[in-house]
Amino acid sequence: MLLHVVNRSPATSRVYQQALSGMSSEDRLLLIEDGVQGALPQLVRYYAEVEGRLFALKEDLESRGLLGRCDASVQVVDVDGFVELTEEAERTVSWY
Amino acid sequence: MRYAILLMGAPYSHQASHSALRFAHAVLARGHHLEAVFFYHDGVYNAARLAAPPQDEPHLVDAWMAIASEHRVALQVCIAAALRRGLLDEREAARHGKDGVSVEPPFELTGLGQLIDLGTRCDRLITFGP
Repeated sequence: MLLHVVNRSPATSRVYQQALSGMSSEDRLLLIEDGVQGALPQLVRYYAEVEGRLFALKEDLESRGLLGRCDASVQVVDVDGFVELTEEAERTVSWY
Repeated sequence: MRYAILLMGAPYSHQASHSALRFAHAVLARGHHLEAVFFYHDGVYNAARLAAPPQDEPHLVDAWMAIASEHRVALQVCIAAALRRGLLDEREAARHGKDGVSVEPPFELTGLGQLIDLGTRCDRLITFGP
């Protein structure tokens, strides 16, 4: 199982498509930096195929005033949880 | 676990440096060993000795140096990316006939072979891009 990390919003970048096409059915996806916008109910549809395996970084949500505004299907993790995700994944792939 | 970080974003232009720094602290707090941070592409500007950000802003260069001295983390800078951006240590400044030095220890100019080495030697290599 790999962890994929995306730091761009699906509203401004199509790199999320590359990330999704590179994911296997067990891989997880973590949204960081401007990527956390993808966790909002208005944008989460772009990640429909990885529902249940989608995470967003709490600190980056908070610094953008978006904490508590995520779609219910997204799991919010803090930076400690980010490290934990990298522990659990065999490798981490960053898309930017 | 043994961790390494690859940082490719310029400080103060992208969030990458701040993300990498926060991640580095979290890795250490969870009891892992952070072997090295490798600075590549515009990420090499994190090693600029003369960086002087406003006092009420995070000083990234100092923050990396503090991590290096407190946790024995190697700070490796890609030499090819650094030289073409004017980041030279004492040896390279002398070699290229330049006055002044813009990179000093604990930052060290190294080759890409070191990055390959980190990738094979560490359990985890995490990339922070621009």
